[in-house]
This record gives sequence, C-alpha cells and structure tokens, in this order.
Amino acid sequence: MGFIKLVVFGFIGLTVIYLSISLFSRSVRKERLEDAFDEAHPDGGAAGARDAFIAEGLAAYDASIRPKLIGLVYVVPTVVIGTIIYLVNMN
Amino acid sequence: MRRVKITFRVIVFVLFGTLLHYALPQHDIVRVVNTYQERQDLNDWTRIFWARPDTQSATLVNRDVQFIQTVKQRTALFGFVPRDATEVMVYRNEDTGWSWPFYFKFDTANLQTEAADLASTAEAPKWAVITHYGWRNEYISAFPNAVAIRPVDNPDVTIIPWFNIFFFIFLMVAIVFGRAMWRQFRERSVDPLLDAAGHELDEVQASVAARRGRIKRWLDTWRAKDKG
Repeated sequence: MGFIKLVVFGFIGLTVIYLSISLFSRSVRKERLEDAFDEAHPDGGAAGARDAFIAEGLAAYDASIRPKLIGLVYVVPTVVIGTIIYLVNMN
Repeated sequence: MRRVKITFRVIVFVLFGTLLHYALPQHDIVRVVNTYQERQDLNDWTRIFWARPDTQSATLVNRDVQFIQTVKQRTALFGFVPRDATEVMVYRNEDTGWSWPFYFKFDTANLQTEAADLASTAEAPKWAVITHYGWRNEYISAFPNAVAIRPVDNPDVTIIPWFNIFFFIFLMVAIVFGRAMWRQFRERSVDPLLDAAGHELDEVQASVAARRGRIKRWLDTWRAKDKG
C-alpha cells in the first residue's frame, strides 16, 4: 500500500516537473529564435517571415532529441530510488 | 516591510535546515554495547519521531521496537570535528518502508544481527560506523534511526558524506534552475498579460476622461457667458 502511494504521488509530482521543464525549454528556444531573427532583420523583415521562421525553428526543436531528454525526469529518480534500495538493504 | 520579508526568509530557512538535519544521513563512530527490544507507546504527538514501517503500523497504539546501545565518539559542528571524548548513544532500529524519510530500509532484522555481532567491551573494543538519521532526545524519548553499520579498524577513520555532498549540489542546481524557470515564466507569460491589462486600463481612463470632457463642455453651454 505504501508502495502504491509512493508510485502514484511520485508520478504526479514528476509529471508536474516534466510539464514545467517542457514548457520552459520550448519557451527558451522560442525566445532565442525571435532574437536570432530580429538580429538578422533589423528592419523587421518581410510580412509573415518572422512567424514562419519561428514556426520552422520550433518544428526542428520538436523533432530534435532535446525534448525527449526531458523524459529523464521520470527515469533518473526511478534509478536513484532503485540504487538507494539496493545500497541500504544489501550488505 | 523589508524587515518582515527578511524575518520570513530566516524562519523558512531555519525550518528547512532543521528538517534536513533530521532527515539527512549522518555517520557516528561507535562501539556497540548491546541490543534490546522494548514495547513502545505510540499514541501521542511524539509518534512523529517513530517510523511507519508498514501501512498497518500507522494505526497501532503500541508495538515492539528494536534498539542498539552504543558508546559513541563525540563530535562537534555537525560531526565534522572529532573530539577526544565518548558518550552513550542509543539508536532505534526500524524499517522506514516506502514512506518518509525515504531510506527504503527493509532490513531491520539483518541490521540488528550485524549490530549484535559487533558487540564488544571497553577492554577489547570493536569500532564501527553507524549511518543514521533523526535526533536523540531524552525528555521525549526520541531516538535516531540506525540505517546501516559497518566495522572499521580504528576510531580515527575519515568519513566522507558522499550522499550529502551530492544532495546539496543537486539542491543548489534545482534552486538555480527553478529560479530561471520562474523568471522565464514571468517574462514571457505574466508580464505581457500585465502590460496588456495596464494598456487596457489606460484606454479606459482616457475614454472616461474624454467623456467627462464632453459632458463638461455641454454643461458649460448652460452657464451664463458673462460669468466666464
């Protein structure tokens, strides 16, 4: 029962962290794309070019490995807990 | 206001530090004297200083708890400075199971056996390092919970608290990361909303001012012109 409680609440907590980091990482990437475009086009560029550039950059970001690495938020604590269980109870 | 803020921060910091001092592992150099088992009453507020080894134990009014009696090397400054003196220390030995604090300890019976195996006399001492968490308090009968024991050759061994080192590094990284996330969230999501709301407010105020201006002008048409 204690185990189920830990799994359920742990999963909820880690999901909150996972979603926060996902949003944060995407937001940082978007800001960087905006800055890159503004630097390259000080006059503002053609109509719609800025949105297209950012959409393209975010699509590339979604396809890259970075957002998938955020899944480690679930993996690392599980491995750490497994290691602690092993170290504390084995001799 | 500034003083209130500082006071609040100090209180939070002290409470958090106290919690960590209770829950993080510490190492004592001890000589085991004996082990025993005693029935403990668990039905008042000092219940928080006993573990909850399994779900049914949460509702028990009393149960048997195992203890390890030791003579311990005294230390100062959170165990970092060894002192040339000894004191007695009694540890409880309880499973923590799957609940707080998260040691995932299930080997209480084995640990009790190891401790009993290391028992020695003052004349022929066998030294050991006990890993534990928790506090000893005689007045409310609180005992630190032993988590592991390993024999050492002499009482002067240097112990490096690896877990605590990694824990505090991780804590720092998490705090810095959390701050960065919060700032990004404010900069990109909250501030634009506030700006938009502020802009809206300005427009409303301007239109109210304009309307008032119109009403005033209309009222002015009723005033006698020579009064000026």
